[in-house]
Amino acid sequence: MSTLLIAGGHVIDPKNGVDGVADVFVRDGKIAAVGRNLKEKADKKIDAKGLTVTPGLIDLHVHFREPGREDKETFETASKAALAGGITAAVAMPNTNPIADNQTVVEFILKRSRDLDLINIYPTGAITKGQEGAMLSEINELKNSGAVAITDDGHDVQKEGVLKRAMEYARTCGVLLMSHCETKDLTEDGVMHEGWISTQLGLPGSPALSEDMAVYKNILLAEKTGARLHLMHNSTAGSMRAIREAKKRGAKNITAEVSVQHFALTDKECMGYNTLAKMYPPLRSQEHIDAIIAGIKDGTVDAFTTDHAPHIEPEKLKAFQDAAFGTVGLETSFAVMNTYLVKPKHISLKQGIEKMTSSPARIIGINKGHLSKGADADIAIFDTEKEWVVDEKKFLSKGKNSAFIGKKLRGKAVYTIVGGVVKYDNGTIIA
Amino acid sequence: MAVILSKKPLSAAEKDLSRVRKGRDLSFFDLVSIDQVTPDDLGLLYDVARRFRDYKTYKFSFNKGSSQVNAFFEPSTRTSSSFDLAAKQLSMDTAGVSSNSSVEKGESYLDTVQTIDSYNVKTIVIRSKESGVPAVAARYTQAAIVNAGDGWHEHPTQALLDGLTMLDHCKSKDMKGRVVVIVGDIMHSRVFGSLVRLLKMLKAEVRISAPLTLIPEDVEKFGVKWYGKVEEALAGADIVYALRVQSERGANGFIPTLREYSKMFGISRKRLDLAKKDAILMHPGPVIRDIDVHSALAAVDEQSYILRQVENGMAVRKALLWLIVDRMDGKKKTFTRK
Repeated sequence: MSTLLIAGGHVIDPKNGVDGVADVFVRDGKIAAVGRNLKEKADKKIDAKGLTVTPGLIDLHVHFREPGREDKETFETASKAALAGGITAAVAMPNTNPIADNQTVVEFILKRSRDLDLINIYPTGAITKGQEGAMLSEINELKNSGAVAITDDGHDVQKEGVLKRAMEYARTCGVLLMSHCETKDLTEDGVMHEGWISTQLGLPGSPALSEDMAVYKNILLAEKTGARLHLMHNSTAGSMRAIREAKKRGAKNITAEVSVQHFALTDKECMGYNTLAKMYPPLRSQEHIDAIIAGIKDGTVDAFTTDHAPHIEPEKLKAFQDAAFGTVGLETSFAVMNTYLVKPKHISLKQGIEKMTSSPARIIGINKGHLSKGADADIAIFDTEKEWVVDEKKFLSKGKNSAFIGKKLRGKAVYTIVGGVVKYDNGTIIA
Repeated sequence: MAVILSKKPLSAAEKDLSRVRKGRDLSFFDLVSIDQVTPDDLGLLYDVARRFRDYKTYKFSFNKGSSQVNAFFEPSTRTSSSFDLAAKQLSMDTAGVSSNSSVEKGESYLDTVQTIDSYNVKTIVIRSKESGVPAVAARYTQAAIVNAGDGWHEHPTQALLDGLTMLDHCKSKDMKGRVVVIVGDIMHSRVFGSLVRLLKMLKAEVRISAPLTLIPEDVEKFGVKWYGKVEEALAGADIVYALRVQSERGANGFIPTLREYSKMFGISRKRLDLAKKDAILMHPGPVIRDIDVHSALAAVDEQSYILRQVENGMAVRKALLWLIVDRMDGKKKTFTRK
């Protein structure tokens, strides 16, 4: 029987409405009590005075690159990076090699996660075989082997007929369908947001309309089929409008996430042909960022994610048009949220934490992301005032390709606890 | 051990050029975008270029002992030969790197450029299929990078020679009150990218005309106005600048047929007559006769300045290479290795 007392921290547990100084007592990997001046004796005590204690963060959108591209990232390196960012649970995208379009890959991911015993990793399966957008994967098998959702992230299902059947089938299986919304015929060879910056740089643009139209299409199909639809990495004003309207119409089966870079950075980051700022969806212009923040404030957006996409250096040391898409984010997401949303007072810290804990847990239907008595003791402890400059050399992730390199952020994880065990302590992984 | 270098006395022609230069230097070390060029730079470049033009192919010794590599990662006729001759007429040694080299074997362009840079060349002229290659390369070389056209982005020396051609025609220091009409594939044109920046610096009124499928997003932020009817754009124009419809850049599919494009936007005698009486017709080449420009106008008409542009190109590139390689102020560019 092991016990842990986290004493004197500011506890934010959005699901239970907790937002104040309290102790958290953990017994045998579960939350035993949350309250002021707990008298319980513990094997280990963390003095959290001046720190913020929250449920461990849950990231719905991570590319672990394993199996297949272990040169870019592994479950181990990504999990350590997650711990450094206060993330205790992450959803793995299926675009690996081989692609997770069958239960073998899903079971492999779950086994690796169990063996590593660092964070909770939740696999997803591909909607279509080979993510080719044509034939459905064995979706029920994927679900039964442990996939929390199906998605063709990185590709998207282009054909409306295939997507409609996928949604009908997903509803039949009771599985969540997550959509990467992109109309390829409009994106074409686009490598950044289409607008004034792409015109000045002479780079092919990816129009906001490409995302808007796919979001509308997905919403209409979800409303028709009744499938549980989660819209991933929304980045446009049009997406916000479409989702807001759908929710207003009463569509309870639709949820939406925003990757933190999409409310923090604009397409100006691409100036000078900075390939670190190249990603899909692309960093958009200020008017889209304003619309995303409005969507965050009014509840259009349910969750914040990283879309953590590690790459090796040569893939980013190319001409902008040829460089790989994506930015890492596990080690910066809390700080980015805190710096770009909480500090400018767009939302409260509690609201931000909610979109990184209980809300994503609800989306994938797991009993995590809160500090209720008896819940798994997945806990993050942050210093929300700590100022630091992003230095990729200090990343635990293999991917050094952060769009935030050199930026000054506020807020850093001090301790990360998974299942009652301290796994991260002031910069050190305890494995 | 110190090397011993002796310098020959200047010839009369070289003394003449030095007098025109008046000890001035450019504000930039590499030329990747017209955004780097100040009005003072432009004045210096044009003073020197006009004088070089008078001396035609005379071989100047200004850049003797310096080398240049022309790295053309995309095919080019006029730009590559013009840069090569310009360097040779300044007594530089030159070598060429073509598209079917190590880059195609999988070497990154940055490694290729840094390899070339290790020859201790003074200038690397880069033409690339992708936008931004010269701009990024310039951060990692001791040699000066000269952009000879990158993707859809810029082609600064083309704009500089076009500016010289226009100013000479207008006999003016700027283009204030002058109307320049640019017709053609604006979206995929690096020539437009540089020209529009230069024309705004010269205070010209710039009109663009093409189907909207060939107009990039937010282009009006360059301070230009779009005309769907080329006739309306041409009314009262001083300069008519036709761009090629560049099929090899994937422009196909943006217009139904070249035939219809030519009917709607091709510069014919009748259309040119809508411009001012003394208006001139320009084109960066290669001209697709009877598509962008009516064949009878292309090279022979007295209003066509297309071949004069090519001549000015030699002079402007010579001026640029002299001013970049033979700095009077002894300043050196800063760079890092990657």
